[in-house]
Amino acid sequence: MAQSFDSLTAAQIAAGVAAGDFTATEVAQASLAVIEAREDGVQAFLQVAPELALEAAARVDADRAAGKPLPPLAGVPLAIKDNMNLVGTRTTCASRMLENYQSVYTATCVQRMLDAGCLPMGKANMDEFAFGSSTESSAFHRTNNPWDTERVPGGSSGGSAAAVAAGEVALSLGSDTGGSIRQPASLCGVVGFKPTYGAVSRYGVVAFGSSLDQVGPFGRTVEDVALAMNALTGAGHDPYDCTSQDCAVDFTEHLNDSIEGKRVGIIPAFMEAEGLTPEVRSAVERAAQELQNQGAELVEVDLPHLDAAIAAYYVIGPAEAFSNLARFDGIRYGYQEEGCANLSDQSSLSRAHGFGAEAKRRQMLGAYLLSSGVYDKYYYAAQKARTLITQDYDAAYAKVDTILMPASPRTAFKFGEISDPTQMYLSDLYTISLNICGNGGISVPLGLGEDTQLPVSAQLVGPAFKDRQLLTFARALERGFADAATGAPALSVAPDFAGKGGEL
Amino acid sequence: MALSEKDVRGIAEYAKIALTDDELTQMTSYMNDAVQMLEPVLQYDLPDVEPTFHPIGSLSNVMGDDLREPERDLPLGVALENAGSARDRYFRVPSILGEGESE
Repeated sequence: MAQSFDSLTAAQIAAGVAAGDFTATEVAQASLAVIEAREDGVQAFLQVAPELALEAAARVDADRAAGKPLPPLAGVPLAIKDNMNLVGTRTTCASRMLENYQSVYTATCVQRMLDAGCLPMGKANMDEFAFGSSTESSAFHRTNNPWDTERVPGGSSGGSAAAVAAGEVALSLGSDTGGSIRQPASLCGVVGFKPTYGAVSRYGVVAFGSSLDQVGPFGRTVEDVALAMNALTGAGHDPYDCTSQDCAVDFTEHLNDSIEGKRVGIIPAFMEAEGLTPEVRSAVERAAQELQNQGAELVEVDLPHLDAAIAAYYVIGPAEAFSNLARFDGIRYGYQEEGCANLSDQSSLSRAHGFGAEAKRRQMLGAYLLSSGVYDKYYYAAQKARTLITQDYDAAYAKVDTILMPASPRTAFKFGEISDPTQMYLSDLYTISLNICGNGGISVPLGLGEDTQLPVSAQLVGPAFKDRQLLTFARALERGFADAATGAPALSVAPDFAGKGGEL
Repeated sequence: MALSEKDVRGIAEYAKIALTDDELTQMTSYMNDAVQMLEPVLQYDLPDVEPTFHPIGSLSNVMGDDLREPERDLPLGVALENAGSARDRYFRVPSILGEGESE
């Protein structure tokens, strides 16, 4: 009874390995076969790590043979965004700057997934240093959206989202500084979760915006994302990241709870925003109706200062990015220009030739914003806007348990379609304010849009450290849009790739 | 007031990113577009609002124990393996005061 491994969720793979239906090594081989068969079409990975995956699988199988208890994600193939260190792989951030950088230690988030039994299949493509919304700024190659390979997967965690959508892996890790998990999840039709800032350790993740960055999982089901959250947070505070918070709970515990009587906020201005396409709007309206059908009460809320979110973000983000990327001077690691007469020239030319266009733009903007005289004008205003946006959300959460909104204003766009960088920034309209206030948000697939026949999603957002409750709402939405006969989520592996290779 | 190419060249020197003349022209155009996009934030520079620098408001400095953690030390070879240029136990850099291309 052969089936492609891509028909199995992470939960089913772990259960199958634990029950002895198949071995972790067979799963690793199936995932590698799928990657072999599909990667030409998707190009989700910058580096595939068969040796690491097979070694991890062999350890799982040896533990099982020895009668040891298996961890909860034993044998589940995982893709890792290439801004996360894993010893035995390069960590390139999809940049020429770090093209040959060998990880010298392993990020806490990656280690915790490995401790939970995941098999590291490789490192996923991304926008260079996570600057982008389409993965087009990767220095190495584009990643194709599995639902239409002429379109972008979103970004910056585009490889992580595409690898899950194409069925190459069951889970992946991404990072979200302005929407970089939720937007590609929306465009690729998978579940993508940005937990509350501080929920997941950032140790070992190459920093972009230190007060904005947060790591989170992608999966094809909410349950898989909940299991990944257990792995990421279960060991509690990470002493290597002082912003890491102790927030370990069982994220699966209340997953199937009823949402009857809960209050779901709707922001009318968001549903009328310029750039929101009719098909996404109609999908989010159906999502609201579905939550209401399940007994939730819809409540209109207002976030009056949200207009400032994009502007505040493009002050805070570039300022922090410039500070963080100043470390790439071509000396201890990273691209080094040869034959320079002095150190200053070496730094300037290494940075000029190591970084791509968008990485240079963001750093130039950040350098300007932090310069004398300019800093006082923009930086404080942005941080005050941050206070007001946070207060807006706090006031809203006094009235509602969650807020429903789009994740992306539109479905996947074509390569090259948005070439103006400041226009690209507007695709973060619905995601960016959460990074500013630090709250959690999740994109849940709702099916295919009526106009483009590409994945559409809704985003649910919640108060800080109420991430488990947020997953309950996400599961309610997933359940509401599931296939009535099979209970399968609205979307599974993209049809052009489903079932190709990787039989178990 | 719009940024001139001279302004942007000054920022590039501060940011240590050598720009070609073509890049400078494009960067100046981008910088002016981007700064324009930031204008809405200026109306929030209100005297009675405190700035929030970090989403976790109660953060304070964390001091580590002043102890060596030998298990976390990078072996010398590992620390040097990613360097563009190394010699013996050291990162190798060009002269700080050497004669460069820039004036």
